Amino acid sequence: MTTHAGEHNDHAHAPGLQHQFEDMKQQEESVSIGMWMFLVQEIMFFGGLFTAYLVFRSKYPMAFAVGSNHLNAFWGGLNTLVLIVSSLTMALTVYYAQKSNRNMQVILILLTMFFGTVFLGVKAIEYTDKWSHGTVPITGLNKVVREGHGDSHASKPIEFSIVPQAYAAATAAGGEEHAYVNPRGEFQWNDYDLIEKKVAEQKADPNAYILTTDERNGYFSHGELDRDKFRDKVRIFYWIYFVMTGLHALHMVVGLGLMTWLCWMAFRNTYSAEYYMPVEMSGLYWHFVDIVWIFLFPLLYLLGRHFIVGGH
Amino acid sequence: MQTTEAIRPSITDEPRQNYLTNGYTIKSWLLTKDHKRIAIMYLISVSAFFMMGGLYAAAIRLELLTPASDLLESGTYNKVFTQHGILMIFFFLIPSIPAVLGNFLIPIMIGAKDLALPRINLLSLYVYWIGGGLVLFALMQGGVDTGWTFYAPYSTTFSNTYVMLVGLGIFVNGFSSILTGLNFIVTIHTMRAPGMTWFRLPLFVWAHYATSLVMILGTPVIAITVLLLALERAGGIGIFDPAIGGDPILFQHLFWFYSHPAVYIMILPGMGVISELISNFSRKKIFGYEFIAFSSIAIAVFGFLVWGHHMFVSGQSMYAGLVFSFLTMVVAVPSAIKMFNWAATLYKGSISFDTPMLYAIGFLGLFLIGGLTGLFLGAMGLTVHLTDTYFVVAHFHYVMVGGQVIAYLGGIHYWWPKMTGKMYSEFWGKISAMLVFIGFNLTFFPQFILGYIGMPRRYASYPEEMQVLNIFSTAGASVLGVGLVMPLIYLGKSLINGKPAGDNPWMLPGLEWRTQSPPPTENFDKMPVVTWEAYEFGEENGLDLEAARRRDREMASDFQKN
Amino acid sequence: MMQSNQWIPLFPEQASSFAWQVDLLYAYLIVVSVVFSIPIVAAVFYFGIRYREVERYSTPDEMHGSMVLETVWSIIPFVVSMTIFLGGAIVFYNQFTPPADSMDVFVVGKQWMWKIQHESGQREINELHVPVGRNIKLTMTTEDVLHDFDVPAFRTKADVVPGRYTYLWFQPTKPGKYRLFCAEYCGLNHSGMGGWVYVMEQRDFDNWLSGNISGQTPVEAGKDLFENKLGCASCHAGGATQRGAKLEGIYNEEIKLVGGGTVIADDNYIRNSILNPASQVVEGFQPIMPTFKGQVTEEQLNSLVVYIKSLSPTAAGAASSSAPAAVANTMPASGNTNRSTNPQANANAAIRGTSNPNAPNSNR
Repeated sequence: MTTHAGEHNDHAHAPGLQHQFEDMKQQEESVSIGMWMFLVQEIMFFGGLFTAYLVFRSKYPMAFAVGSNHLNAFWGGLNTLVLIVSSLTMALTVYYAQKSNRNMQVILILLTMFFGTVFLGVKAIEYTDKWSHGTVPITGLNKVVREGHGDSHASKPIEFSIVPQAYAAATAAGGEEHAYVNPRGEFQWNDYDLIEKKVAEQKADPNAYILTTDERNGYFSHGELDRDKFRDKVRIFYWIYFVMTGLHALHMVVGLGLMTWLCWMAFRNTYSAEYYMPVEMSGLYWHFVDIVWIFLFPLLYLLGRHFIVGGH
Repeated sequence: MQTTEAIRPSITDEPRQNYLTNGYTIKSWLLTKDHKRIAIMYLISVSAFFMMGGLYAAAIRLELLTPASDLLESGTYNKVFTQHGILMIFFFLIPSIPAVLGNFLIPIMIGAKDLALPRINLLSLYVYWIGGGLVLFALMQGGVDTGWTFYAPYSTTFSNTYVMLVGLGIFVNGFSSILTGLNFIVTIHTMRAPGMTWFRLPLFVWAHYATSLVMILGTPVIAITVLLLALERAGGIGIFDPAIGGDPILFQHLFWFYSHPAVYIMILPGMGVISELISNFSRKKIFGYEFIAFSSIAIAVFGFLVWGHHMFVSGQSMYAGLVFSFLTMVVAVPSAIKMFNWAATLYKGSISFDTPMLYAIGFLGLFLIGGLTGLFLGAMGLTVHLTDTYFVVAHFHYVMVGGQVIAYLGGIHYWWPKMTGKMYSEFWGKISAMLVFIGFNLTFFPQFILGYIGMPRRYASYPEEMQVLNIFSTAGASVLGVGLVMPLIYLGKSLINGKPAGDNPWMLPGLEWRTQSPPPTENFDKMPVVTWEAYEFGEENGLDLEAARRRDREMASDFQKN
Repeated sequence: MMQSNQWIPLFPEQASSFAWQVDLLYAYLIVVSVVFSIPIVAAVFYFGIRYREVERYSTPDEMHGSMVLETVWSIIPFVVSMTIFLGGAIVFYNQFTPPADSMDVFVVGKQWMWKIQHESGQREINELHVPVGRNIKLTMTTEDVLHDFDVPAFRTKADVVPGRYTYLWFQPTKPGKYRLFCAEYCGLNHSGMGGWVYVMEQRDFDNWLSGNISGQTPVEAGKDLFENKLGCASCHAGGATQRGAKLEGIYNEEIKLVGGGTVIADDNYIRNSILNPASQVVEGFQPIMPTFKGQVTEEQLNSLVVYIKSLSPTAAGAASSSAPAAVANTMPASGNTNRSTNPQANANAAIRGTSNPNAPNSNR
């Protein structure tokens, strides 16, 4: 990193120059490094979730494939397109800020916000769909379907038998959290066709590598496919789906807040060729949120597509 | 060639404008952007948390005087050691040196007016308070008993205590760490004065740069781990629950992926302080400056690769264990390099044994033992016997207390005259440094033996044959406690009627000593242009040593006259 | 037992075939530490004295670093640390590679006791009897949280993990009684989750395996089972806030049960409470007592019944009328008692005992 010429600005400070900086160049450098460092730590933050995803997908690939097949790739794909376009409008905003073009800036920021809102709207549609199909993996957050669903045991929560004390303890007076109840009973899942087919294939050829070791232990009881246990693993997939997309959506909301502020500032003609760093930095944040989605989409929505498309 | 004026030691009678006198309202403090004021507020906060953690430690040692669980029942004891760990690690050890000394000194040491992002600095303080407040609130409601390591499934499914609330506090507090680290990286890159090249930086700054890398990369992982823990507890998700397909060992991997680098967040700034102390109190440039600088970076990088050495007996595969053991040995080498370089700095120096130097020498001895016992724990076959025993407890207290706390105290004493403009009683400073050193060894050395004979950690009651060593340990703890409380008294007293310190009481060349004590709000009357290398002590670097000697003689004769 | 001839014990006994390796590695590390510490400490002392300041603010000569020194004191520590790594790896390999001819023992940890079962079916609680000179492999798991089976005299330990099996092995070399600890924090009574490993001559072990209890009166045998071997005291001898129903003075008294009925506490009642506790839960208590069916022989059952009878003054020929002494280290603290308001769940749990149907190959 270079050092800076030690001239003090005797004349009026450039617009937006903070007092601790000698000149705009130093401020721009600082703000830029700062934002990149922030994004690096955001990557590490999401990284933990990607690790959990990696671990469980390696353990239970069929459950993940089945879960993923039930996500609507159309909505997911639409969201991807929406975000990519919003990144375009964001990049153009930076361009027009550099060109001191106030009107275009405001229009493009509003467009970016529009696309961001569309994204969130689509997520709302998807989440509602999950809610009504009972695939939200947390007790109390599903539309509980009273009528029987065949063997999904929807109406009878199965207590977690390993830990009577914990179950008991959790309902004790004084504890501040809810009872830990295995919400397996409320997570509704009916599609066992693919897994039954795969189990049959595996049994027909025991040496073939169709199910992983963890799957051979994890889906079975007494040598037969145990639907409850399989459903548990699909539930893990949905949990990862909700946490990852939820955290991403939270970042998107923050991004919209950022855009609102930026829009206001741009409207007041704050940005120009001499001072446009806030626009560029906001753009960096927006692009980051976009890139996270670019990773999330295939990892969550496009697993096991060959089972649907190719049929095998 | 010097372009700055020769620095004269001057103690004037009339108080000058400085960062402390620049506004007396609460608002001027709470809404300040001045990194020095933020550092002082951090100082008060971390000291408060340290005292609380210390009270818990006292409770632990008192309980362990007797083999039975008589002073505290086991449920309470479990909460006490958990909370001791949480308060000390997250609210004292991790923030202390960076947020207090780093915040105060880094801009001055590099010749800048402030950190690059002062409002982010203030935000990190607020976030620290919020996180601390949440944890304190949880403690008052009843606390947690999971151990500071929060292992699943106990913490997710079985513990009946305020895990989520404490987890939230830790989550929030993590952002304080991240923002501090972010600020330091930016500042060190962009705010250096003209002429202050990377290799003219004080090693204190290098150490904080390395620490900041770890803070930024590592802390988000604990954040997500705590979040997963909370979701598991609240929603019964089950990723750590084997009955529905989860894996408790995954929690350990995620947890230790941060918590191991966290220990480097704790020790690297301490090592930076020690580099300053040893060099300045030997009046000699640190031996192997580049080696120490690069070792800091190496420790930061390799520190991310060794987390599995906390999991050798946890069910991890032998092969993973081999990799982690190998890397653990590798990460020990840069620390060894530093130890040798520090010792070599003393060679042919001109060593004065002021209080900060006593702390530095204490550090050398204690960190030596702590670091070497880390090798014991990195050797797989031996660690099987030693894991989860008091040997581990002794090891980490040697490095964290014997290392980091001693470095922190040394730094506080060293820069106290700069931060406050007052000198403390050198006599009491030396007494307390020695009490800390003696008390510390008495407390923790017996614990190595206790660990080898098998006393497990986190035990409220233990077999009778282990009582003698526990009594030694508690006796030492009382000495240590006295030594740690004493600075509160004499440092506090110095604020009231301490001798004015002068700008450069020890005639040292660092940029921080070339400005007022206490510094003015913008740090320097005239921003410096650096043309000299780091740690150059002679008169050609602008230090008017003759004038300083004259002044000392005058003061001594004044003293005799009166 | 620790070396009790020493006032302050330094080492546990070496009681397994690889214990000497661990101690040797420890000794090697101590030597390495001393060898590295001496020069540094000596240098600091010597330099501190020899080069203390003579004149205030004097400036010593400049010294430039030395590439040679830096290289030397980088390479040597690295090489030494590699030897430590290798030593550790070899010892670890020995500690965790059970020989093929090992005798299998199964261990299940649970809050806060160890349940052990030999191949032959003999069960133990908090105690492990093994023959000297044989290779013993422990296959372990836990019913609830993480625990750790730790025997310092054998220099080995391993965590037990829910949903998985973990292993450790050892070959005991010296008959004796060695402490067993739980070494992974597991909650309230973590400190109390200990016990003993008894290493016996093969002949004695065979004797033990076939069920010979040494000469004790039935009441003494029952008391021993109650307080030590079966862990009953941990719930039934804790005083006012204990989790288990009071047993002193109940013999032949009328007991109110959950669900409204009453029963007379006779011999059958006591026996039934041990074998099928969920079927008659005392009012005001939770159905959390595990069943001991299959874990006690008929003789042991009789001893227990006799002992519990002896706790009531009206019992004929009661030997001891004092309440069972609280056993140090197995007493749970009175805080954090678990009260459930869902009897159904707990009844289900109790009926299933403490076994975990989802645990791999649970065979209760």
